[in-house]
Amino acid sequence: MPVVLIILFNAFNGLIQGAFYALMAVGLSLILGLNGVINFAHGGFMAMAAYFAYTLVPYVGFWGALIIAPILAGGVGYVVEQLIVRRLYLRDPLYSLLATFGLALIIQDLLRTIWGAQGVPLAIPDFLNQPLSQVYFFLTGYRLFVVALAIISTTGLFAILRFTRLGIRIRAGNSDLETIAAVGVNIYLLRSANFVLGIMFAGLAGILAAGQIGLTPTMGDQLIMPSFVAIVVGGVGSLLGSLVGGLIIGVASGVTAAVYPAATEVIIYVIMGIMLVARPRGLFGQEGLLE
Amino acid sequence: MSDQNNSGGLINRRGLMKTGAALGAASLLYPPKPSWGASETPIKIGMVDSTTGNFAVLGQSAIKGAQFAAAELNKKGGILSRPVQVLVEDDAGSPGTGVDKASRLLDQSQVDFFTGTTNSAVSLSISQFAAAHNKLFVCSGGHVDKLTGPACNWATFRTCSTTWIMTSGNSGTLVEKFGKKWYFLTTDYAFGHSEQDDYTKQVTALGGTIVGGALVPVGTPDFSSYLIQARAAKPDVLCLLLAGDDQINAMKQITQFGINKDIHIAGALFELEQIAALPEEARYGSWSFEWYWDQPKVPHVLDFAKRFAAANKGQYPSARVWFGYASVHAIALAATAAKTTDSVKVAKAMEGLTLPPEVALQPTLPTYRPEDHQLMLGMFPGTVNQHGKYPDLINVQAYVPGATIAQTPAQTACSISYPT
Repeated sequence: MPVVLIILFNAFNGLIQGAFYALMAVGLSLILGLNGVINFAHGGFMAMAAYFAYTLVPYVGFWGALIIAPILAGGVGYVVEQLIVRRLYLRDPLYSLLATFGLALIIQDLLRTIWGAQGVPLAIPDFLNQPLSQVYFFLTGYRLFVVALAIISTTGLFAILRFTRLGIRIRAGNSDLETIAAVGVNIYLLRSANFVLGIMFAGLAGILAAGQIGLTPTMGDQLIMPSFVAIVVGGVGSLLGSLVGGLIIGVASGVTAAVYPAATEVIIYVIMGIMLVARPRGLFGQEGLLE
Repeated sequence: MSDQNNSGGLINRRGLMKTGAALGAASLLYPPKPSWGASETPIKIGMVDSTTGNFAVLGQSAIKGAQFAAAELNKKGGILSRPVQVLVEDDAGSPGTGVDKASRLLDQSQVDFFTGTTNSAVSLSISQFAAAHNKLFVCSGGHVDKLTGPACNWATFRTCSTTWIMTSGNSGTLVEKFGKKWYFLTTDYAFGHSEQDDYTKQVTALGGTIVGGALVPVGTPDFSSYLIQARAAKPDVLCLLLAGDDQINAMKQITQFGINKDIHIAGALFELEQIAALPEEARYGSWSFEWYWDQPKVPHVLDFAKRFAAANKGQYPSARVWFGYASVHAIALAATAAKTTDSVKVAKAMEGLTLPPEVALQPTLPTYRPEDHQLMLGMFPGTVNQHGKYPDLINVQAYVPGATIAQTPAQTACSISYPT
């Protein structure tokens, strides 16, 4: 196979992977934007939802679990927001960063205690589990499904943010929380809702990831870093930025794999480094946020 | 008034008698464990292994094996009539953390010996630490060749195989049965490099060629880009030299892409724990297994498997369990022979030690080779039993005694000198 074709294959493959990073990054970005919390426990919530799905599959099937498990994770997210995160809004972002970091460790150990350190298989429907074409063998039904779901759910999110009262309030809160509080919006309720929404996105991404790679208590660790990088590259506070950032690092690491495989992981941090030097606010970020 | 005194929390005569009676009854219900004399301080074996991180599942198996051996020993009077304790510390798969924990075990708990480690990089660092502090270290699970090769020392013995023994356990069969064009997907640290070097030497010596390979960082969740390269190279054998959870991710994605339909998937290490974590369609390939619980013709094995499963909620012993088990028993045997816990003397007693049948649990009895302290562990090349139910997940096709495939002591380039 000629090198150019391999690079093209990898770029295409990177786009698929990038869509997935974007899905994870969007949830993180939501929470970072309105709640001002760098949610280190995002990976933990992903794994948690995937374990919920694993437990639910025998009762409600894959499709039922895909809907119910993120909602359950959102419920846990609500409790966490009420008990821990909410108390830290008025403090320096460092506090919530430390709190969610601790939370990530707690969640991981809880998962290990309940479901065991050994990986468990999350079965996905057979018809999704095969390549669609002999040539583009890396395009399986499942990966196409993941991309479709990423597109649908982020479009849905954008529609919510654009057209619903809740969405408009979230966007308004993003740009000036004090003002919308002054005009009578219950910002505590708003931030709870936003946090839960972000966790549900994490849950969805977690289940989709578990269908493709193994389901282990540490699965979130492997996936969380690329989504942080996606946010930094795309611009903190911008959902569109997170999407584009995810796609960029997906393609970059895909193409690198064709040329110099050992650097596939490093390349995304190199991109982040260049971005931080050349344009610290990222591609679509607002100037001054979290600076 | 006396009632008020009672409720005030003062102990009266009647209350004291009740408590005494209750304590007496309790001691009848819970008879004391076999008592060790007050002067008999326990012999402490410090075990540094992974209970978290990428190697947690494998590490925990080794720990269970070691603890099972310690319990067995204690039932039969311990080591040198002293009880045995296995003290576990988590290395989290990192050499720095490993050494830190080893140093804590030595300073705070005054351990007599070390065992454990799953990640080869941790094995190498604990080996150096143990030698520097004059303590015996029986490495249970790090496979990198150089631990009992150029980096060997008097204090270090190894129970699991070298990557050379593991790879030569099946390289000949694989070249003969599946083809001469090989492609490697290799985990990017000491263990993977060592395996790939060994296979490369063996395959090229057999007339094969290496058509490509990629080094994969530990903890890679997505293998799709590597698999695109691998398939483009059109190999006969796609050799997976991955470790821990990475192997599970790769195996799942290989089936999803249908690559295992036209390329044969093989490799050296594949473990019972990993196979159990895979869905049925992702259980395939040819591997070099290091130990298996189902050896119908070998005495003691099934008995061991059943006893272990009964003590561990139905979990069957894996190769990792056996590593931990055999390592602790080997320490006990050597200390008993040396009649001391002095590490130098115990190490000398362990040189040439042959595991007895009830510890070896395989067709031949492996020996810790005096020249490089490597156990001549036999290999069980075989395939994955795709439709089997746990624990029946491996089809063993042969047994190859370790001494017949290991590098000679001259080839391993190990030279051992004891502290004077």
